[in-house]
Amino acid sequence: MASLSTSLLTAVQALGADTGALQVTNNNIANASTPGYSRQVAILQEAAPTNDGNISVGNGVVLEGYQSVRDELVQTQIQQETQAQSGANAQLASLQQIQPTFTTSTQDIGTEMSAMFSSLSALSTNPTSGSAGQAVLTAGQNLATAFNTASTTLTSQQAGLNTQVTQDVNQINKITQQIAALNPQIADLNATGQDGGTVQDQQNQLVLSLSALTSVAVTKTDNGDTLTTGNGTPLVVGSQSFSLQTTTGSNGMQQVLDQNGAHITSSLTTGDLGGTIQTRDQTIPGLLNQLDTLANQFGSAINAAQAQGFNQSGATGQNFFNIPTAVAGSAASISVAITDPTQIATSSDGTAGSNGNVANLMAVQTNALPAGQTPGDTYANLVYQVGSLTSNTTAESGATTASLLQLNDQLSSVSGVSIDEESTNLISFQTAYEAAARVVTTVQALFSVTLAMGTVAAE
Amino acid sequence: MRVTNMVPDVEYAMQQSQSALSVALQQVSTGLKVNQPSDNPAASANMVVSLASSANIDQYTKNVSSVLSQMETADSAISAAVTSLNTAITLGTSGASGTVTPANKQAIAAQVQGVLTSVIAQANTSYQGVYVFGGSASTTQPFVAASTTFTSTQGSAAAPLATTTALTAGSATTISDATTGDTFVFKAVAGDTVATLATAISGAVAVGTLSAGASATINATGQLAIGTNSSAAGMVVSSNDAVLGSMTAAPDTGVPNAYAYVGNSAVNSVQVGDSMDVATNLPGSQLFTTGPNVIASLKGLITALQTGTTLQIGAATTAVSTGLNYVAEQRIPLDNTISQLNDQDSYLGQETVTLTTQQTSLVGANMADAATNLSQAELTNSAVLAAAAKVLPQTLLNYLSPA
Repeated sequence: MASLSTSLLTAVQALGADTGALQVTNNNIANASTPGYSRQVAILQEAAPTNDGNISVGNGVVLEGYQSVRDELVQTQIQQETQAQSGANAQLASLQQIQPTFTTSTQDIGTEMSAMFSSLSALSTNPTSGSAGQAVLTAGQNLATAFNTASTTLTSQQAGLNTQVTQDVNQINKITQQIAALNPQIADLNATGQDGGTVQDQQNQLVLSLSALTSVAVTKTDNGDTLTTGNGTPLVVGSQSFSLQTTTGSNGMQQVLDQNGAHITSSLTTGDLGGTIQTRDQTIPGLLNQLDTLANQFGSAINAAQAQGFNQSGATGQNFFNIPTAVAGSAASISVAITDPTQIATSSDGTAGSNGNVANLMAVQTNALPAGQTPGDTYANLVYQVGSLTSNTTAESGATTASLLQLNDQLSSVSGVSIDEESTNLISFQTAYEAAARVVTTVQALFSVTLAMGTVAAE
Repeated sequence: MRVTNMVPDVEYAMQQSQSALSVALQQVSTGLKVNQPSDNPAASANMVVSLASSANIDQYTKNVSSVLSQMETADSAISAAVTSLNTAITLGTSGASGTVTPANKQAIAAQVQGVLTSVIAQANTSYQGVYVFGGSASTTQPFVAASTTFTSTQGSAAAPLATTTALTAGSATTISDATTGDTFVFKAVAGDTVATLATAISGAVAVGTLSAGASATINATGQLAIGTNSSAAGMVVSSNDAVLGSMTAAPDTGVPNAYAYVGNSAVNSVQVGDSMDVATNLPGSQLFTTGPNVIASLKGLITALQTGTTLQIGAATTAVSTGLNYVAEQRIPLDNTISQLNDQDSYLGQETVTLTTQQTSLVGANMADAATNLSQAELTNSAVLAAAAKVLPQTLLNYLSPA
């Protein structure tokens, strides 16, 4: 049977539930800008009714607990997209620093190559001119410097990326340790049927940070998240994390090993580490090899043309360029071998005034190198590749950024805190609290009336 | 869909619009739509090739200018030589008249000597240090006064050279004959001696390269003497053989009015187009000593005026006249080349315009489009910023009364 005491209890219960809901609202508002925070909702449930004969009377509300609102699928998609974006950004950062070297300027390889042939052509009009000969030497030195600079730019980038590999691996190991440390707490909460709440948010945020560094696959288990790299190398299992290691490879570059010492470098393809390795081991060596080949074959062709003629002293032309026998390192080490303009082999008959061999030197410009193209076309192809790589990576970075924005919007629509919504909730729960308090006041008044009834009777 | 936080979207929109604004601004300020290879990889690669072509065209244009100056210098020299030869013919014709006294003939001979000196000066014309009629041996005067005898600086009475003296392999001894107009070059190989050189000179005499009587002997002071036994036939001898030392003309052996050509017959070519080379010089031997030997004909006219009969003067004048016609003929290809070069200069100017147009098309921005894009980007950016300023501060809290 309903009584004032029951009503009072129901009101007090409502006050507690509303206080709890207000606390959740407060927490949501406080974390509105916290990265990785998933909004929480208070689980309010109707209390079991009391049956009095045929009459069933409600007993108010109870606060069952708090629940974070998540979308695991979108969360996973964000992690994957983050890996792709970080990989693209790592490559883009390097390519943007490489690109200026291959951009047409007053000192790029193409311009200096043209300048050298122009100076040779000018020399043909007066092969005994000291100033025209000096112009050829200067142009040759400028071209060699342009090759040296381009090579240095590429190798410096490569060295920087090599350092980044070690830093990324260290960062990955720190994060996996932190994730592993959170797993037991989540397992405990799961075991008691509670929501992971803040701990789960922290872990999700750490996994996102890890995704920015490397390719990672997440498997949800009762013992928390199990993490592996893209090729299945375990990173976190339960409370245990498995550190990656680095070692210097035969090429002088840092190689990544799993906890068993197995090489996994080539299997890391996304995230900052994947993008860094891709650029360090694929993109830059590819460009460097083409640059070395061009420098070596161009230098050899000029030297061969020199050997066909005679210098101003009537002696057979000596090498114009110093180039190593091996192709590797040619761009870095190419230099002009002769120091005196009279050593340029312009003559085809041994007389100083002959310019007959300039044609052979000039022919290097239009003849195909052993690689199959003329020097100019070879360089143009290199420019195309650098431009194409940078352009494609820029597009990829832009696409993943847009995609990530959309996915974050999607996640935010589920898990994000809306200040407007929370403000409304605040009003709603405040009103509910005030109403419940009014019930207490009312019941109190009724109690007073009831007690007063007794007092009147006694009088 | 719940919209909870518009900040990331607004930030993204601002970044996109500012990036577009930056690109539009760069295009307007540089006038280029391709500022780096990634803007258009194919256009950038084509630009590399096109710029190389432009550099070549620029250099061809400079070459045309340089070669043209050199050839015009040569043409002027030939023109002056032709004028001089005409003067010589006039003088010869007057000298061939039966009424001219011997004294007048001597006076005319002296005038023709002046003409010869003038022709030699024209034949030794240089342009920027290059003797235009020296072939590829353009660093030294091509026409040199000839002597009958040249002796080696090596060899003495105490240490004489001998016919068995070995010559240096690879060395060259050159004999330029003023009479034949030819040059004989002896390149020593291992085992060659002075006797080998002497035999070779005899062979050159036999085939007419050198004048009759030319020989190489060891003289009384133990030096190698190369010369002729004719006081009228002169030559110029040089050698780079260290065993012989340089060859110098023996004192008082100069042959009056005889000049030998010490240049060579090589012709230099200069590229003035992707597929166009032009010969930049006319060897002096081809112009003045080969065929009707103009120098020798003038010398002959002088001799005829000094000692010859009227008939001989007439014949010598005719020889000069033949030489004049020959020189005039040789000038035609030179003039043709000058004309070609002028045409090529115009063509290269057009090519420059074509390439510039091509390059503008490849990487140049259409300024009207670029300005419109900039205006549009400014408008979009302003709109995004205005929207951000309006939307971001909007929350329900703004409308709730303070408690």
